[in-house]
Amino acid sequence: MLRINKSKNSKQCHEASIEEICSETWEILYRYVYFKVQNREEAEDITQEAYVKALSRWQQGAVRPDNHAAYLKTTALNIIRDRWRKTKRKGAEVDLEAVNPLDIAVEGPAETSNLRMMVDDALKKLAEDQRRVIDLRIIKGFSVARTAEMMGKKESTVRVIQYRALKALADILEENSESREGPKYGW
Amino acid sequence: MDGNEKKLSEYIDRLNAERQPEQHGAPGDSPELERLYSTVRLVRSLREPALPKGDYPKELAAAVRSRQTGKGYQKGKKRVWLGGLAGMAAVLVIAVMLSSILPLGNVDVVHAMEEAFRGIKAYHGILEIVTSNAQGQQNLRTKLEVWADKEGRYYIRGLEGWQKDIITVNNGGSKWQVRPDRREVNVFPAFPDAYRFIFELGNEIEQAKNALSTSVVGEDTIAGRKTDVLEVTPKGGAPYRIWVDKETRLPLQKQSAMQNALQSTVTYTSINFGDVIPGELLVLEVPDGYSEIDKNPEQFVNSMTEAAEALGFAPKVPGEVPAGFDPEGVAIVPDTGLVKLYYIAGDRKAKVVVVQGKADGEFKRASTSIFAQVNGSPAEVQSPVGEEHGILRSGGQYAGIAGISSIRWRQDGYEYAVIGDAPLEQMADFAEGLVGGALEMPSTGQQSFARSAIEVPVDLEMEENEQKSVDAGHSPWRLDPVYVAQVFVSLEISPEGIVGEYPIEYEELEVIENNGAEAVVKVTDDNTPIEKVFLKRLVRQDSTGIWTVVGYDPAN
Repeated sequence: MLRINKSKNSKQCHEASIEEICSETWEILYRYVYFKVQNREEAEDITQEAYVKALSRWQQGAVRPDNHAAYLKTTALNIIRDRWRKTKRKGAEVDLEAVNPLDIAVEGPAETSNLRMMVDDALKKLAEDQRRVIDLRIIKGFSVARTAEMMGKKESTVRVIQYRALKALADILEENSESREGPKYGW
Repeated sequence: MDGNEKKLSEYIDRLNAERQPEQHGAPGDSPELERLYSTVRLVRSLREPALPKGDYPKELAAAVRSRQTGKGYQKGKKRVWLGGLAGMAAVLVIAVMLSSILPLGNVDVVHAMEEAFRGIKAYHGILEIVTSNAQGQQNLRTKLEVWADKEGRYYIRGLEGWQKDIITVNNGGSKWQVRPDRREVNVFPAFPDAYRFIFELGNEIEQAKNALSTSVVGEDTIAGRKTDVLEVTPKGGAPYRIWVDKETRLPLQKQSAMQNALQSTVTYTSINFGDVIPGELLVLEVPDGYSEIDKNPEQFVNSMTEAAEALGFAPKVPGEVPAGFDPEGVAIVPDTGLVKLYYIAGDRKAKVVVVQGKADGEFKRASTSIFAQVNGSPAEVQSPVGEEHGILRSGGQYAGIAGISSIRWRQDGYEYAVIGDAPLEQMADFAEGLVGGALEMPSTGQQSFARSAIEVPVDLEMEENEQKSVDAGHSPWRLDPVYVAQVFVSLEISPEGIVGEYPIEYEELEVIENNGAEAVVKVTDDNTPIEKVFLKRLVRQDSTGIWTVVGYDPAN
């Protein structure tokens, strides 16, 4: 449990508090952000920004000290939403919620696990070639060239299979998502 | 190529490089592409996240402080106390675990399992697979009826869950799967069998025997049976537990470590032992209204003469079958003009296949293979098989299957391969018996190859951390010397970082030496500042060890 000595108000105490808060909460927040953005560069950046924003609110006494992790997550989610909505506005004014039904605002391990099971089940419904490309390219992280070599196919063929596989997977997931009870997915 | 396919591929590449895709900070693509980007992220979430490098919490705190105060931050501030507490907690946990170890020796339990398994011929049980999440919520994934024997044959029928009504059988000669949902029967080669079934008793006992360590950590009652709980720490991978029946001395349950917030528990809720699997279960019968889809490209023939007539060349046969093995059968693959000679170990624990066909095109060795020689000709040795080249090319029949090794080479216009799950020394006997010359593996002594002109400094501690990360499933490209060299050369060309495609293609790099511990990669593109890249497996010198660039020769 994180404890902050509120009676001390020195600069030294403030710095120690930042270190303690980061040390205790960084991983849960980073994993949460990474789950959304799926790359280290952006996850590190958003995590840092979330702390900067959240800490200034804490210093104003706006948040209960025992609620740091939840507040950080909410702050991070708002940063992502803000950045990505800006992105869409620059473009074709696309409604993010409408086009990203698969981006789930996961709040806890139970939802994460269910989501993973759902993806896992959907993958099993793909054709063998499609499943292999998804596995090699996205789950194992191989390049197109390497995937093509391992599958004995041309790179252009791998890209075509990859595109079709993801389209099929998106359809399956949407179908499953629509047939589920409870809240619809979307940021 | 379709622009969307390329964009999607580049998006995946960017995430794989752990960099922010431009799509996350630039004008948006079409709704359809956005939908596919989302799907990519969702699938990618099955992987463990790439965690920050170095002392991230400390650097994060310093960066946050610096942004708040507008000052640069200093490294080396006081360490947080949480690490100390966590360490103490870990010591306490270990102490509690140690104190709970029972008097029964660990080796005894494993040995008792081996002995008990030796005494049975076949078993029949009901297997349940349950997953639990971090909050303890459980979900029955599947329930299976299992028949299995010591000869490697099995019959599996899904009773509940996602495999419901699916039947999978391997009778030693072929493997098939009955899919009522598609009204199809798919037929596959029987060997190698990439996916047998989970919690096969023989495999579990073998894995416990070969584990880094095992310890009895308690007692429990499973399905009304009293058990010892054994914690198994494998060589690589997270520790897991198996519950061993105190009476039969055979495993009843297995529980994986919590991975990706999920833990799976596999339990034989009932099991009994007999002599054979009922014969009718091992016969392929296509139900009325079902179509048979033969995915096995092989056809068994009765003699070498038949094989020679079908393929137009006389296959070579090992002069003497290596000790402990018996011929099992001969198959041909008409589509690719190959012949396959099957051999099986006397104890039925290993199979070896000798493959041969006419040589076609240039002989290229897998970049991850050891560069050896058979009878003076260049040979490729893979243990396990990572890539399929030449006559091993089979659409993934061999690559990535645990325990499968191969030796491949050419001689007199023909290409040969020995592939199987036997020890490499026994497979070498087959190779040598086939062409009458020895398999020569390269030496792995200190500095086996020529020195590089320019040495690249290495941080061994960082490499050890990278190795741990790769062991956990991240950055698999570090296991391929060509890929590591490609990244190194690309960063020399573009020191500011790689955006999009690499400035040098994978195909423009060629492994010219590889003894399993050291490798030399030649850059064939003339427009790069580097001619050769020298790499070493600094942490571990086997197929799981990462490659590190230790030097290079600049281009003239």
